[in-house]
Amino acid sequence: MRIFREWVLAIALFVALTLDGSISLYLHQFMTWNTYGASCWIMPIGIMLIGLFDDVNSKEIWLALGAGIVADISTLGIIGIYTVFLPLACWACQRVARFLPEVFWSRLLVVLLGLTLLDLYSWVVLSLVGIITVSVHMMLMSLLLNLGWSIIFFVLTYWIWGNLATNYPFMVDLNAYRQ
Amino acid sequence: MKKFLQNKKLLSAFIIVIVIIAVLGGSVSLRNKRNSPLFIQSFGNDIVAVGSRIVDVPLGLISGGLNNVNSLLNTQQENDYLKSKVTDLGQTKARNQALAAENKQLKAALKLKDTLTGYSLINASVISRSPDTWSDLLVINKGSSSGIAKNQAVMCGGGVIGRVIEVSAASSKIELITTTDKSANRFAVQATATNGKTVHGLITVNTNGGLAFTQVVDSNKLKKGTKVYTSGMGGNSPKGLLIGTVEATTRDSFGLSNMINIKPAGEINDPSVVSVIVRKVAK
Repeated sequence: MRIFREWVLAIALFVALTLDGSISLYLHQFMTWNTYGASCWIMPIGIMLIGLFDDVNSKEIWLALGAGIVADISTLGIIGIYTVFLPLACWACQRVARFLPEVFWSRLLVVLLGLTLLDLYSWVVLSLVGIITVSVHMMLMSLLLNLGWSIIFFVLTYWIWGNLATNYPFMVDLNAYRQ
Repeated sequence: MKKFLQNKKLLSAFIIVIVIIAVLGGSVSLRNKRNSPLFIQSFGNDIVAVGSRIVDVPLGLISGGLNNVNSLLNTQQENDYLKSKVTDLGQTKARNQALAAENKQLKAALKLKDTLTGYSLINASVISRSPDTWSDLLVINKGSSSGIAKNQAVMCGGGVIGRVIEVSAASSKIELITTTDKSANRFAVQATATNGKTVHGLITVNTNGGLAFTQVVDSNKLKKGTKVYTSGMGGNSPKGLLIGTVEATTRDSFGLSNMINIKPAGEINDPSVVSVIVRKVAK
């Protein structure tokens, strides 16, 4: 049971990754407008919120790295998008959390900024390696659409990630401190 | 240079960037060249596919319920349309049977085995879609154990929607026909021009994200509504798979060849069950 508690966050991130794929499939028609589309990034939102809620556990950066490798392998088939961005985002969020007010709105702004950077980073890398050919105009419009959907996913999952990060930190048994 | 080498933070950052670029370049190269992914990648794909199937059950029930309500609301209209089609169906079916039998006899007479039009189907369910907005990828619940191989064409809703790009043991990734990937294999297609001649070309994606029929070598005109099929010349897909219908004809950005916009026949936006096409004739 102790080991399960320590790995709850990792399991939650795996479920979030599979949910990202399933929700993208079922809500694709609603997440696209004309030729512009939004991303479904529950897992990256989770990684950033974990960093914001728990700014002392450096093991969560390694968790983000692992989650990034699995996400890269299972979605794009190339390593270098989530593998780079997620641990960096987790580290940056942990640093930011030390002086950021611990309120919903400030965390929302940080996560939206992070998701915009992820969108831009993935667009740049995928364009450079020739996997996509998307114009700047289309990218900017998709960024706006993405922000709208990201707010929805953030609001729906904020309390879940908050509870998980606070009560089940990665590879830390809180019961050992309580007894 | 000496200062740079003595600054450990700067040196570490430099090495990390080099490693990231090397890993990225290596994985892109592997993605394009290999017929099957590395074991670790295949294993990762299958593990995530299992998770997706579990998550898919409740989501599928909700989505199915909503679709059922929608279907009920459209039942009367759909029923009237289908009634009008039923009368033609019997005759078409009988004619198809006669043509198939005649075709078989003619092939036997000419001692022909498999031709470009021969193929078999593997049906599969779509279990997830790439969550990012840039890439057009689907994941299906069948893999190499079911006979799926890289580059096979995939159909849904009566038309081609893409091709297989990565095959694991129990799951496969499909790249949609609307992908803007520069290294993607393109479908070799053909259509019949107004003068009765066959026009050959490739399916590409135009700047608006729509499908286009390009590299048409002759100047034969294609009427709006003309059906575009695969020609079987690419070596991967069989002949005769419907891609879409001609929507409009323009010139390309260099003014050298015809650019024909195609309305896709396949269900690209909402594919739930797909058919993977296994070409009978060898490559």
